[in-house]
Amino acid sequence: MDAFSMGLIAAMGALATVAGASEDIESDVGSQSNPNSQVQLAAQVGNPHRIYNKAISGEPPANALWAATAAMVAYTLITAFQMPALFALVAGASVAALFNGVFAISAYFGRNSSQRRFNQWVYLDIVRYTTPSIMAHAWITSFCIATISYIMVYMLPIHHPFPMPIIALIWGLAVGAIGSSVGDIHYGGEREFQNRQFGCGLNTMLSGQIVRKAEAGLRNSIDNAWFCTKFGGPATGMGFGLTVFLDNWRTTVFDPVTQASLAIAMGIFFIIVEVFYNLYIEKSARRKYGPYPEYKGDIAA
Amino acid sequence: MNFDINTIVYILEILVGGLLVGIGVHFVPVGGAPAAMAQATGIGTGTVQLAAGSGLTGLLAAGLMMSVTDNLWLILASGAVGAGIMIGSTMLTGSWIYAYAVGAPFASAKVNYDPITGFSQPPYVAPGTVGQGIPTICFVSGLIGGMMGGLGGAMIYYPLYLINGNAALSAMFAIGIFLVNAVLASWNIQGTIEGFHDPKFKKWPFAFRACAIASILLALAAVLITGGA
Amino acid sequence: MTVGGGAGGAPSAFDPKKIRMYGLVGSVVGIYLGAILNMALNTNVFSFVGAVAAIFAVVMGANSVRRICAYGIGTGVPSIGMLALGMGIIAVMFGLSVAETLGFGLLGPIITLVYAGVFGYIIGVLANKVIKFNIPVMEEGNADLSMAGAMAILGWSFAVSGNLGYFDIVKNVLMTGYIAIIFIAGGLAILHPFNANLGPDEKQDRTLVNAIMVSGIAMIATGIAAILTQGLAAGLLQLVIGFALWFYFFKMYYKLVKRDAAAVVGTGLLPPTVQ
Repeated sequence: MDAFSMGLIAAMGALATVAGASEDIESDVGSQSNPNSQVQLAAQVGNPHRIYNKAISGEPPANALWAATAAMVAYTLITAFQMPALFALVAGASVAALFNGVFAISAYFGRNSSQRRFNQWVYLDIVRYTTPSIMAHAWITSFCIATISYIMVYMLPIHHPFPMPIIALIWGLAVGAIGSSVGDIHYGGEREFQNRQFGCGLNTMLSGQIVRKAEAGLRNSIDNAWFCTKFGGPATGMGFGLTVFLDNWRTTVFDPVTQASLAIAMGIFFIIVEVFYNLYIEKSARRKYGPYPEYKGDIAA
Repeated sequence: MNFDINTIVYILEILVGGLLVGIGVHFVPVGGAPAAMAQATGIGTGTVQLAAGSGLTGLLAAGLMMSVTDNLWLILASGAVGAGIMIGSTMLTGSWIYAYAVGAPFASAKVNYDPITGFSQPPYVAPGTVGQGIPTICFVSGLIGGMMGGLGGAMIYYPLYLINGNAALSAMFAIGIFLVNAVLASWNIQGTIEGFHDPKFKKWPFAFRACAIASILLALAAVLITGGA
Repeated sequence: MTVGGGAGGAPSAFDPKKIRMYGLVGSVVGIYLGAILNMALNTNVFSFVGAVAAIFAVVMGANSVRRICAYGIGTGVPSIGMLALGMGIIAVMFGLSVAETLGFGLLGPIITLVYAGVFGYIIGVLANKVIKFNIPVMEEGNADLSMAGAMAILGWSFAVSGNLGYFDIVKNVLMTGYIAIIFIAGGLAILHPFNANLGPDEKQDRTLVNAIMVSGIAMIATGIAAILTQGLAAGLLQLVIGFALWFYFFKMYYKLVKRDAAAVVGTGLLPPTVQ
């Protein structure tokens, strides 16, 4: 271990945190993945809305595409034209953002026009002012992930054997999986249904009754991003940041050639700590919130 | 290539890896779209996606380890631990959202008492839902599933790399085998599962059979592929 | 995905058998045409033919995603796209490698196609018989999907390497990592069209036009990759053709959206009937 590679690991952790946060906010601005099923349902139960409907295949494959595109373009520019890495990564992320814009627009058009019988209109102004915001967040995500891949392949003391685009593909899948497991709950569980009681999941009876009106006027997806930036985004960032940081930290501090078993033991230690932290959250939530008053049976243990 | 005893070992390793992926998927507590609305217990995403996210993170760790050592156990352990860290971090931060943003206590509607902690579940299930959050039983089950996925990914990658000596080819191939098994298993689950305490978990022999047949076919193709350059 | 999605057996204007025939013949002939032109004229500017050929396969794949997912498989559309590509990549490497070992490099696409078809069919049988899906089009649809995924990967891999030889593909497509972008862009090209148009008023022509449009995007990506492997001329040609295809079919898609949507408005409040 030396100070330089430790700094690189720290940079990777920071980049991953930013990537996770922007990934989640991107999916919230565009309304992607699982919470989008309620947006989709809303029109069908008679609630047409003005929320973006960016159904790009679920987050992991979509983010894998942006990240792999950015890494692919960066790799090409670095190898074929000997461009400086930072410039190449920026160019790659820009191409990825353009791809993202096309996919987002086609999904919004497609999903809404497939709801003709529910009178869901296609609003062009939403496309005009929400799509750039989506693309901007996709830019940040793909830039960060392509940079992480670049660091892993070219800069860390033990160069990763996989090529850069494949690493970006895998991290893209991972960030998408984390974004849809963590941050989306803030959007789907809280922001879409602020019109019901706080402190419980969505009652099945209320499916599709999403909040369509804002403090002034009609709610749009930028309002949703404003809300989710406060907690869902950062929490996703922490999730992805922890993944990247802890995973690489243990193989950098402990040399995988001579101290491999220590690196593995460290990983197991992290996992055990996570189990107990989750147990603590579970206990404290049960203690503070208590059982639901509607429950009629006995309350034991 | 010449067909010898090693080839059979490779095929078996790929088969076991594919089965680990297929069974591991059953352990991961995924609530699908309802979980994202805190309407069901588990992680709010799709089975394949989460399994792929964690298993392939494990593959990255295993690939790194394989480039410096050829000790099978270290590589397998690296894959499992890498995947475990990913899925652990995901569930932990997901728990933050359930506890601090949605403000719901964790509960499962499939069991009355958490088999690990012994906490009673029904009083904490919100009306109109089938549980929410990630109770300890689901967390542990998810860790087992994620680590099995990572182990499976590494188990597939290891023989492939020995056969063709090409990290990129082996990695893509491992991703392919991984995805086929994960999708077959997730079809078996039909969307959502809470972990090994869920009654749906008893369906795993179907996935076991399907994944075994698919993995054998994939392994037969895989061992015939040469490394190229 | 439980919401949306047409009822079982989505109505279609184009017969799936015809689409399958065009898809298979188009992609195989296209890939061979590109390979032979490149070889005969000792150039690589015809690599774009392979990329265009892949589009035929993608349309076939998108159509079969549409057919299978119309029944509702409980795990969302994306899983099936990932399955298609997972099967496809193995078939491609298997086909090319075996053809190379046998000494007939040009047989690669045929072996790939056969392996993909058989393997996809078996996966379909497993899904119906072992996992008990009982979706009538599952076997056929999975065979289509697997072949489509394989042909899309093969076509775009050829477009990047400019040569069907196994060693060239390994060197230019796998060692550089470009396979990642082919893999995921191909996967999205197959699964995105139906996913993006999901809903009760989904129309087949709109979905398939979307497939071609997304393939145009993938072709832009392979064009960028080809700049490194085949030089500026071949790469830029592919990029420009990809962009032109994307542009043309995006316009067409927008036209179809205007045809199908309840209303396309510049701005406005909620529709009057429900406000």
